[in-house]
Amino acid sequence: MLLDLNDYRNDMKRCARCSICKWPPLAQMKSWRFSQNCPAISRFNFHAYSGGGRMALGLALAEGKLDETDEELSNIVYRCTACGACDSSCKYNSELEVLWPIYATRARLVGAGCFREEHGPIIESLRREDNPLMKSKSERGRWAEGLDVKDLSKGGQAEVIYHAGCLYSFDPELSKVARETVTLLRSAGVEVGIRGAQESCCGSMAFQLGFQGEFIKFAESNIDDWNALGAKKVVTSCACGFGIMKAVYPLLGKKMKFEVVHISQYLDELIREGKLRLSKKIPLRVTYHDPCNLGRKSEEYVPWKGTEKKVLGQLIVREPEKTVHRGWEGVYDPPRDVIRAVPGIKFVEMERIREYAWCCGAGGGVKTTMDDFALWTAGERIAEAQSVGAEAIVTACSWCERNLKDAAAAQGKKMQVLDIVELVKQAR
Amino acid sequence: MALAKDIYQQLEAVVGPENISGSSAVLWSYMYQPFGNIKGVWAEIMPEAVLLPKSTEEVVAVAKICNRHHIVFKAMSTGWGIHNLPGVKGAIVLDLRRMNRILEIDEKNMFAVVEPSVICMQLQVETLRKGLNCHIIGAGSNTSVLASATSVVGYGPDGLSMGFSGRNLLGVEWVLPTGEVLKLGSLGSGDGWFCGDGPGPSLRGILRGWEGAWGGLGVITKCAVKLFHWNGPAELEMKNAQPNYTIKEPLKYFRASLFNFPSLEKLGEAAYKLGESEVGYFISRLSPAFVGLQMAGGMNFVRLWESGMPQQMLKYAFLFVIFANSEGEFAYQQKVLEKILEETGGEASPLAETEEMQGLTATSVIKVDAVTRSCFRSAGGFNTSFGAMDTIDMAMNQVRAGTVLKNQYIQKGVLMEDGGDNSATLVFDQGHLAYTEVLLMYDNHDEKSTAGAMAYLADSNQACLKQALGTPIFQLSQVGTGKHGLFSPACFHYDKWQKEIKKAFDPNNTGDPTAYTEPEHKK
Repeated sequence: MLLDLNDYRNDMKRCARCSICKWPPLAQMKSWRFSQNCPAISRFNFHAYSGGGRMALGLALAEGKLDETDEELSNIVYRCTACGACDSSCKYNSELEVLWPIYATRARLVGAGCFREEHGPIIESLRREDNPLMKSKSERGRWAEGLDVKDLSKGGQAEVIYHAGCLYSFDPELSKVARETVTLLRSAGVEVGIRGAQESCCGSMAFQLGFQGEFIKFAESNIDDWNALGAKKVVTSCACGFGIMKAVYPLLGKKMKFEVVHISQYLDELIREGKLRLSKKIPLRVTYHDPCNLGRKSEEYVPWKGTEKKVLGQLIVREPEKTVHRGWEGVYDPPRDVIRAVPGIKFVEMERIREYAWCCGAGGGVKTTMDDFALWTAGERIAEAQSVGAEAIVTACSWCERNLKDAAAAQGKKMQVLDIVELVKQAR
Repeated sequence: MALAKDIYQQLEAVVGPENISGSSAVLWSYMYQPFGNIKGVWAEIMPEAVLLPKSTEEVVAVAKICNRHHIVFKAMSTGWGIHNLPGVKGAIVLDLRRMNRILEIDEKNMFAVVEPSVICMQLQVETLRKGLNCHIIGAGSNTSVLASATSVVGYGPDGLSMGFSGRNLLGVEWVLPTGEVLKLGSLGSGDGWFCGDGPGPSLRGILRGWEGAWGGLGVITKCAVKLFHWNGPAELEMKNAQPNYTIKEPLKYFRASLFNFPSLEKLGEAAYKLGESEVGYFISRLSPAFVGLQMAGGMNFVRLWESGMPQQMLKYAFLFVIFANSEGEFAYQQKVLEKILEETGGEASPLAETEEMQGLTATSVIKVDAVTRSCFRSAGGFNTSFGAMDTIDMAMNQVRAGTVLKNQYIQKGVLMEDGGDNSATLVFDQGHLAYTEVLLMYDNHDEKSTAGAMAYLADSNQACLKQALGTPIFQLSQVGTGKHGLFSPACFHYDKWQKEIKKAFDPNNTGDPTAYTEPEHKK
């Protein structure tokens, strides 16, 4: 199994309880208004909701001080978008894991049979329909109807396979992004194939909710299928898929004969190579929202396995030395470069960006099961975009786009939300 | 003893159901408190509930309920350290996290009014925009402005130019343990926040004395603090230099230098002269270990330490920063500094001279953002000793005593090897006050190491008494009820006064006595 809470005991018991996990890296704080980094502690306020508080709860569970059946524990554990902002902030000053103990706590609850009622239908949908959205898998490839694209479910192979992801496949408003992606790739001369009705979930939702067995099934199946289809490159618009494929799939030990590429990276490459030319002016003041799974959570995760020893009296050192995942190696510049390549556009940054970006609020199963919390979090992001005078938020993740759009509508905020693919399509 | 249902309901009616919890999951998260803990990371006594009041009115209402039912309550802001928890059974915690507003920044009169959970970095980013800066304590900018000004210590190395939190305190709004609201300084006479001493009642000595009441004497709900001139840009843009964030553009008229001296006497002499000259923005003793841990962790630190380079270059060293207002002033301060170095034999370490280190040092002295790196990540457990505020000579004596004593425990293998002299902070208020605290790192999950650290702290307390080195920082609050007895005879029996204050201000005994005092002597 990937997630064992006991693997993180040393991290959890060495939290300094300094609350740095509650803020963006202190040197990067720019104003009081946008000085928080964690949606959960910002919304619910008890220390338990912070990264440090979650470490304490994980430790209490591991030491038997708390019982998995505690109802409030379940509320706390799942009122978290698992965005990893706490983890990035903590690692500025330490080498402790914060996000993975959060995942492992969820897996511990699930392993004890203490999953939440509302997660049942999601997992059931994954098992039966290969998606977490309670949609029929027979409808999965419909988004591509009428497109001139190779459907690999009908046979054949492709070096470049486009993985649309669940939300882009099934959400009627967002599926145009998948269509536009294929059209753009084709127009740039890319021979792209899709898996049509045979495409399945990346497993991210199962992983984030703590159902690691389900996740492993999806991940292994996807890797096998892409290998069998001769893929050299798997391109996805789904940031959640990208993040899990980059950070977690490699831990399964299966050979991945393909490179995983996010569409923002691919578009950036095609624009640089002159294969995609953007000529239409878009006179819009836009900002960019970093999806957590494309940014800080897409770094390949190298779990530390080794021994600790003491030198210089009580100084604790690890053998081998630990790979520290600070979130700095995520995909940050390609989407920004794509936006800057659009003629006429005025690009402005928000205060919380890159590895310390504020989450949109949709992650970790929150959008599906606690929409009010998801919308509140997105509302904070929209306010931040408004504070820099943006007319539109560009993003590169279906869940971010869905949630930001829903929040703007629900809260009556005048803010366009654009997928980066839509922006490029408009500029063609 | 769980809170009686009717009492819980009364408290819930004040703060709302979303803002009170007695669930074990929530409470266990508060029980995790490694700093200051005598053993391990968990507190021994679980509070009955945690409340999140939003306003002074809610704090007053909660306090009155507690008085009616004889329930002990204790407030926390950022909650870093075991002293934030009540140490008696049946108590409740007021987590003031929702009281987090900067209420006012008065540019003309150079002060800010804050609620308890505003952290130093939040205040600083807002004040820099207005050409003002705020004192940040040595523990870091992740700490509460109000807590250090009103309730707990308040030192920081930028205190050379920006004072000491206790002295920067102006008007105060204080909810007494009884639930009455007392306004101190000019606020008490309805004249605003600008002065801590009047017109109106000046009770700073009672409110915080030397070290603070550590949350044991009611709840301070608002306070004003002095601000200081800032001559840098309105916003400090950062660049990434893994694992650090450093200031992107070099600051004008800014220079950070690490100076090493031939002896501790010469270092002290230089500190006196710098204070008398009223130059500099920041000064701090920086031990070889502290600097090394800022630069490297794990085996990289070990290799650095075993090279002997930091010990050799920084044996008797301090970090000194000039941050002047003009080219002329910068040149003047440099000239003064050079003269003092010449007189005291101080030499600049090349360690701080690179552009990279200038940027890194500028960030860390202005933002105070990397303290946990040096203190907590090496062994997990961290504590501090000595540290009474007095003269520079006294500070040097604290270093000497601490080094000798700590080395004995390092030899036993129970503390991390840091050369013994791991002292921090130096001069405040342009030389009028000084202290150093002697830091120690140990493994708080190793019984032998923890016991060794506690024995060292007990011995260091004795050293303070026997060598007349003043009352040690943090130790009074950490060792539990009755600890004042140790220092009381040597310090004019101050605890008798404390107990009288406790009786007068807290007749129903609802303030947590653990880090402050009991109303009566216990045998």
